[in-house]
Amino acid sequence: MANISTPATPAVAISARGLTKHFGSFEAVAGIDFDVYEGECFGLLGPNGAGKSTTIRMICCLTARTAGSLTVLGEPAVPGQRTIKGQLGVVSQEDYLDPALTVRENIEIHGRFYGQSPEVATLRATELLEFMQLDGKTNEQVRSLSGGMRRRLVIARALMGKPRLLVLDEPTTGLDPQARILVWRKVRELKAEGVTVLLTTHYMDEAQRLCDRLVVIDHGRILESGRPRELILRLVGRECLECPDIAPAVVDGLMATLRPEDEAWHEWQSDSWVLFSPNLSAILDRWEAAGIAPPLSYRRPAGLEDVFLRLTGRELRD
Amino acid sequence: MGGVNGMVWPRFTKGALMVFRRDFLSWVKYYRSSVLLNFGEPLTNLLALGFGLGAYVTKMSGDPFVDFIGPGLLAVTAMNAVTFDMSFEAYDRLNENGIYLSMITAPLHPAEIVGGEYLWEACRSLLYGLVFLVVLLPLGIVHSWWALLLPLPLLVTGMLFAGPALWVATAAKNHEQLFYYFTLVVTPMFMFSGVFFPLAHLPVVIRDLILLTPLVHVVNLTRALILGQFPPTLWQDILWIVGYTILFMALPGRRLSRRLTD
Repeated sequence: MANISTPATPAVAISARGLTKHFGSFEAVAGIDFDVYEGECFGLLGPNGAGKSTTIRMICCLTARTAGSLTVLGEPAVPGQRTIKGQLGVVSQEDYLDPALTVRENIEIHGRFYGQSPEVATLRATELLEFMQLDGKTNEQVRSLSGGMRRRLVIARALMGKPRLLVLDEPTTGLDPQARILVWRKVRELKAEGVTVLLTTHYMDEAQRLCDRLVVIDHGRILESGRPRELILRLVGRECLECPDIAPAVVDGLMATLRPEDEAWHEWQSDSWVLFSPNLSAILDRWEAAGIAPPLSYRRPAGLEDVFLRLTGRELRD
Repeated sequence: MGGVNGMVWPRFTKGALMVFRRDFLSWVKYYRSSVLLNFGEPLTNLLALGFGLGAYVTKMSGDPFVDFIGPGLLAVTAMNAVTFDMSFEAYDRLNENGIYLSMITAPLHPAEIVGGEYLWEACRSLLYGLVFLVVLLPLGIVHSWWALLLPLPLLVTGMLFAGPALWVATAAKNHEQLFYYFTLVVTPMFMFSGVFFPLAHLPVVIRDLILLTPLVHVVNLTRALILGQFPPTLWQDILWIVGYTILFMALPGRRLSRRLTD
């Protein structure tokens, strides 16, 4: 008998199983499994060269996978797959815009590439220029735009085809804080309309704010996956003590006071020494009593950045 | 993924028309400087060689020298207008400003991009060829009503030279390599394709070699139509032009496809 009960899990927008991509002998993506549910914002985090861009290119049907399976919006993702591409909006890392065309022409022609009639493309362009707050710039050449405006235009262009799945590859890199906040607001509005969002970013505060779930990948493999809050609690705990500009000798003295039941671990983040422990108050009391509490230190909530550094290490990648 | 290992022929679809439209919108912004750039050189050649050198050469196969080179330069103008656009401009669309990338990210196939580019280059060839014809008219170089048929060979010429140039653009690793195409292919063809002197007096081997290249046949055809003189071998020129156009048509598709989806 067929199972007619409603599925317990939400509909899947992207499903990867053993997804692998080789470039010659180099394994850019080494067999990863993940699901992205419809209507959520899913983060793909990792250092440069981790395999994020290759994964995104496979999802966008721009490069063929070497092995494994990849289903996007119900169809197998292979290069030239038009059914998927027609429902996809892509914001690439680079602000590729047509330098000869005006702001409006840049996105109108993109709508025409999706097969829209001139009337529909014009209407949609007007809506989106307003949505991305570019309506004062419609007839300007794109080279006269600021970095933030160019980025907003690229996002508007990605929305021309009314995508079910929006791929944002580092959407806010190089933007000022005001422009970033605008982009975040727009992403939330799109999500509220039911658009699925796939996001890569190097800003962990951004991922923490926007992502419902995320994976951290490095060297082509998934290191961890989960909800941001859950990952933080599981991997680094609720809070930490950050001590900027502290001498290593002082740190040695502080470390000597730690006990196994503190479940403490520590790391250097740049010039700051950071101590993580579920027992932070007890440790601080002990230091206070011993008169060795570091004068310049502050307690702060642990964040996704701490998770990221713990998982991927501190050495520079490229 | 069919087509990766085989030939990728251009597709002349609605999507290709939109690629054409992008090229047109872009050209409209620059047409003044673009027209000037594409006419400066052939016009200089026509005036300096046709009237300057021509004063000494006087007759060429029975025609005034300027009558001889005018129709040939028209063919060259068409070739150059197409070749510049499909080499340097196409290289930038592929490598510098992501225009082809944004096209295939939207649901266009690389074969539709090639199709759209061919349509546009056919029009460029027509446009620049006809404007050059308008320059030839007051100089008294156009001798025949057959010249009214020129749009047809001009459209085909655009397609003919678009393929090889776009192939070079997809293969080049930098702008310098594009210059090789001009230095090693385009310029020699320009000098030796019967634009400036008839091939009749060249050694047979060299003449036959030249007849294996495409431009000479276009020159023969435009000259025949403009001067109203039809040599008995003209049908061979037409066959060569059609043959090369078809042969070159599938040249860039596969490589462009690989460059965009690898």
